Amino acid sequence: MEIKKPAAAGTLESSDAQVMIEPGDGKIELSLQSSVMNQYGRQIRATILETLERLDVTSAKLTVVDKGALDCTLKARVECAVFRSCDASEANIPWGGAVR
Amino acid sequence: MVSEISPRSARAQKQVDALLEREGIRRDRNLDYTCGVYDDDGALIATGSSFGSTLRCFAVSDGHRGEGLLNEVVSHLLERQFARGCSHSFLYTKPESARFFSDLGFSEVARAERAVFMENRRGGFASYCAGLQKTPAGKTAAIVMNANPFTRGHRYLVEKAAGENDFVHLFVLSEEAGPIPFAVRRRLVRDGVADLPNVVLHDSGPYIISSATFPSYFLRDDDDAIRTQAALDVSVFGGIARALGVTRRYVGDEPTSHVTSLYNEVMAARLPELGVDCTVVPRMEADGRVVSASTVRQAIHDDALDTVADMLPESTYRYFASPEAAHVVQAIRAMDEAKHY
Repeated sequence: MEIKKPAAAGTLESSDAQVMIEPGDGKIELSLQSSVMNQYGRQIRATILETLERLDVTSAKLTVVDKGALDCTLKARVECAVFRSCDASEANIPWGGAVR
Repeated sequence: MVSEISPRSARAQKQVDALLEREGIRRDRNLDYTCGVYDDDGALIATGSSFGSTLRCFAVSDGHRGEGLLNEVVSHLLERQFARGCSHSFLYTKPESARFFSDLGFSEVARAERAVFMENRRGGFASYCAGLQKTPAGKTAAIVMNANPFTRGHRYLVEKAAGENDFVHLFVLSEEAGPIPFAVRRRLVRDGVADLPNVVLHDSGPYIISSATFPSYFLRDDDDAIRTQAALDVSVFGGIARALGVTRRYVGDEPTSHVTSLYNEVMAARLPELGVDCTVVPRMEADGRVVSASTVRQAIHDDALDTVADMLPESTYRYFASPEAAHVVQAIRAMDEAKHY
């Protein structure tokens, strides 16, 4: 999926994460800030990158402010931000396709 | 649950005022959106507002600290900013509150003693500085101008700086804030200094005198707010000066505009602390009149371009006399008042 415009999903409340995504220049740039960075930083980063890969996003600038979100929450927020950024959330969310 | 607070609801606005006052925060005169959180009894317990790309006027009631209300309010405001296509947000806050915002993904751009200026992009300012065109080592100066429009006074200032230094970085304000569009202002500056090879032209972007760093430059506000914002702007400029090796800033002295003269005053006091000399250049005069862009705008407004012909470099005069400028002239005429407050 191609990131066409800036989009955001999620909140800064506890147990959630705010994901902001913008068009990139050919690679994934991830800026991650987390309240549990020392404990789970690597796991969070891996989850985000995996989700992007699954959605076939190869070029994007991503800013994630994590407030202790579970993996499933992170995935949902990243997916939602990606869909919003390419207007897929209007009609054609690829249920069962790229989203598993 | 965060909800919008309508500017038309006098009762709700009064609650906002009362909450801000209790928490010792000055309400900005310019806000375009306000939201808040209410408790079960309908009392306002947290609020935040935005104006353009800036978030401002945050307060959380004393009895409700530590409930994550600020997070909710900031989330709500950021979501709204994104929804209207603004992904780069800024805010000011008191130095003692800066850490709350840095937990919410904001990072510090600059600080003065009473305020911290932050943005929601880590390394945003650093990458702006890195992206500026650099000049080789040498005596380097900077000028920031609105050039609304470019006059012989501006030309005189640039010429003086270019003569006294090896390189001059010339920043043109990129904020759209008047009848003359940025593209036109920039073009007239470019044409007006084309023969000076050691002048590098830059767009000021969101960090120098923009409605984010310095809202009171564009909209009326009280002197205290102007001074605080000017101090922050100067401190941001310090970062840019470091990146470009600028050791001197030239400013035109300002007899007619209140906000610019306050700004100059703050600059003269603070720039030296940042290792930048501030050189105030007296206004150029033409036929006993001070050359000023607002006089020029007034003349265009009154359909009397020829009365200020001696204030304009040829390129600017040619532009305003040409049919191409018709819509800009129209816009200037449509204004009530052509002067900067």
